[in-house]
Amino acid sequence: MPAVPTSYYLGLSGVLFTIGMIGVLIKRNPIVIFMCIELMLNAVNLSFIASGRHFGHMAGQMMVIFVMAIAAAEVAIGLGIIVAIFRTKETINIDEINLLKY
Amino acid sequence: MNSIDSHLPFLIMSALTLGSALVVVRVRNIVHAGFWLLPCFLGVAGLYALLQAHFFVVVQVLIYVGAILVLMLFALMLTQDVMNPNKPQTNRMSLPIGVFCIVFAAGVAAILTGHQWVNSNAVILPANVQTRQLGQALIGEYALPFEIASVLLLAALVGAIVLAKSEKEPAPLPLPTLAALPDSKPE
Repeated sequence: MPAVPTSYYLGLSGVLFTIGMIGVLIKRNPIVIFMCIELMLNAVNLSFIASGRHFGHMAGQMMVIFVMAIAAAEVAIGLGIIVAIFRTKETINIDEINLLKY
Repeated sequence: MNSIDSHLPFLIMSALTLGSALVVVRVRNIVHAGFWLLPCFLGVAGLYALLQAHFFVVVQVLIYVGAILVLMLFALMLTQDVMNPNKPQTNRMSLPIGVFCIVFAAGVAAILTGHQWVNSNAVILPANVQTRQLGQALIGEYALPFEIASVLLLAALVGAIVLAKSEKEPAPLPLPTLAALPDSKPE
């Protein structure tokens, strides 16, 4: 059975990354923004694993382990910040969190 | 066997992933968005399986579906007022963002189509060999990044606890059933 070419996986990864980027840029709720960041990280992981298979090298898979570790750290910190902001401001609307602007 | 047949698992998995990712971005109710992440992550796990990265299928399900998704749903339930799906969910910059994203996607497409792709002749190792090599590299060649990543993760989790912990003592929970009984009130 002929394998699916690597370029298909990279194209899929590009589309998934673009969808995540649209979500990050237009959404108002930071939790949905986090979900879209996860979509982008998944797209990058997919392209790492596809490239790793293409070149027959382990480094691609190794990068995915580190990306997942960073993603877990980022989600934990980010959600902690969101909960803290919600407690002090009673809202987490991105458009209303503008204290640093003035 | 023609091309479409052999590509069918890939097409199904990519349709699942992209379709649910689009729903995550489009849907107004953010609880629904959280739950639509599940088929998206599972679709990516399926793509890993098609790429014969067996270890990462398990890791994807464990970490993304098991940990990150549950953490997000927890945060959703802790911040309730934004669950109102009647509020506008997007900001007012849709047009420039749309143009920017189209340009970005066109750039990615130009890079992908401009490259001369040769078929990979790399040998794919069986799952047990692949995973053993990965583990040996983690404690050998990649030991330093591995340790740094683990320290970073520890620091992030401690920091998250400190951030989410409230400054003052939490107010005691109201206990209506106990307060209703006159002789069970504490002195």
